[in-house]
Amino acid sequence: MVRAPDRATQKRPDRDVYVLGVGLHPFGRFPDKTIHQMSQEAVRAALKDGGIRLSDIQVAYFGHVYYYGMSVGEEVLAGLGLTGIPVINVENACSSGSTGFWQAYWNVATGVFDVALAFGSEKVPRGAVTTRAADSHERLTGADHMMAIYGLRMRRYMHDHGAPVDAIAQVAVKSHHNATLNPYAQHQKEFTLADVLESRPIADPVTLHQCCPTSEGAAAAILCAKDVAQRYDPGLKRSVRVAGAALRVQPFHDRQVDNPDVTELAAREAFQIADMTPADVDLAQVHDAATVGELIQIETLGLVSEGQGWRYTVEGRTSLAGDLPVNTDGGLLAMGHPFGASGIRMIHELVTQIRGEAGSRQVKKARVGIAQCSGWGGVSTVHILAK
Amino acid sequence: MPRRLSLSSDRLKLLDPEGTDGVLLGTRCRECGVTVFGSTVLCPHCTSDQLARVELSRRGEVWSYTVVHTPTKEWKGEVPYALVDVELPEGLRVPAALVDCPFDQLRVGMPVELTLRVAEIDSEGNEVMAYRWRPVKGPA
Repeated sequence: MVRAPDRATQKRPDRDVYVLGVGLHPFGRFPDKTIHQMSQEAVRAALKDGGIRLSDIQVAYFGHVYYYGMSVGEEVLAGLGLTGIPVINVENACSSGSTGFWQAYWNVATGVFDVALAFGSEKVPRGAVTTRAADSHERLTGADHMMAIYGLRMRRYMHDHGAPVDAIAQVAVKSHHNATLNPYAQHQKEFTLADVLESRPIADPVTLHQCCPTSEGAAAAILCAKDVAQRYDPGLKRSVRVAGAALRVQPFHDRQVDNPDVTELAAREAFQIADMTPADVDLAQVHDAATVGELIQIETLGLVSEGQGWRYTVEGRTSLAGDLPVNTDGGLLAMGHPFGASGIRMIHELVTQIRGEAGSRQVKKARVGIAQCSGWGGVSTVHILAK
Repeated sequence: MPRRLSLSSDRLKLLDPEGTDGVLLGTRCRECGVTVFGSTVLCPHCTSDQLARVELSRRGEVWSYTVVHTPTKEWKGEVPYALVDVELPEGLRVPAALVDCPFDQLRVGMPVELTLRVAEIDSEGNEVMAYRWRPVKGPA
């Protein structure tokens, strides 16, 4: 079968864009807090981190999936002090946050605005996550079940690459260890391989601790044109450059057998903009909603060759001390996954690592980092950050 | 009088009034030949509007499988259940629950065929039929 032509336009930034400040609200369960309160805390942390006032922000993108009332992004900022700037609410499933970051980046990179805020939050309901509306006929097929789809992917990965279950489950052991070094993580607890394998079966071979938890939390990032960033951070000592940014949606039908992978398309575009190759990448944050997701994404990004991700994991090469640390803050698996915040949480971790401020989970070499976030609907975002 | 209905007239056509047999529906592009499951307004491959409704193959091969122990709250069938993603000769995959197969006999590549099951009773008492896969009996 013929492959779909790549219809991407060759985008080029007109100027350099830096992340000036980042902020988080811890991930976990916060029944006494509203999405507004969590988001406001994350925005205030990002403003403080960047040494910038809310009144200097010129445009804001708010990522979320579930419904919290109309125009929730405006409502969140109203609680901080609305300044009259445009606020745009972004829904792109699990990639809502990174989609807002991508939009903020291109706004600044093309000169429309000088300073942009990307923030996001979520209160994900407990239980298995569905992707369709409740009255969709898909609910009757048995296939509208996110972790069951990961079960299919994991079984196929094992079949294609001869990967043992233990090797894939090891991703969860590694990521939970990273989360014990992260005060913002939902699961700050070590899990042994036996803990992971013997946890409740969800969609065999995916067990409970191979799935990201349902989560609450918020994240924020402030993006600036280079000359503007210089004003707040003379010499750009703590600012981190966004070297490449791409968002793509599966160009062909998502059920089609011979379909180019959307992460491959987004990665190609992001590396092209950054004028880099996968060999330049020191660390990665990728979409690990289930353990096998991490392996598939690091392979599709080209960071390791196809079918080798599980070997890298077993050999410890993706751990904090390895040559390709992956999901250094615990990832979706252990940090947690509030959909609207997750894509920006990945940016937060890359910025923290590249600045050298990650404390006990700091990796040795952190000059170039990549963040990949997937969303239902065939979305993949790829951002490359560099010193 | 309660009847048997398809879960989606777009994707499953019942072949007899009793609703015991059916066929999956797809759309084939007359220009580039690509076939998709269900309907589409434009061909997702070449964007042509020269499309024809087609009946899809009744048999395919298991591309992958999983046994779901923790279902969504919308699932009304048995638990645990096997979910298989089935590759059809037309070059597309159709995921659905698998019936009539012990879990320890699930294999990648196993031949399966279409079957129907009552998935729910609607508010008017009609039986809503859903597509399922089952192992091919006898020589494939």
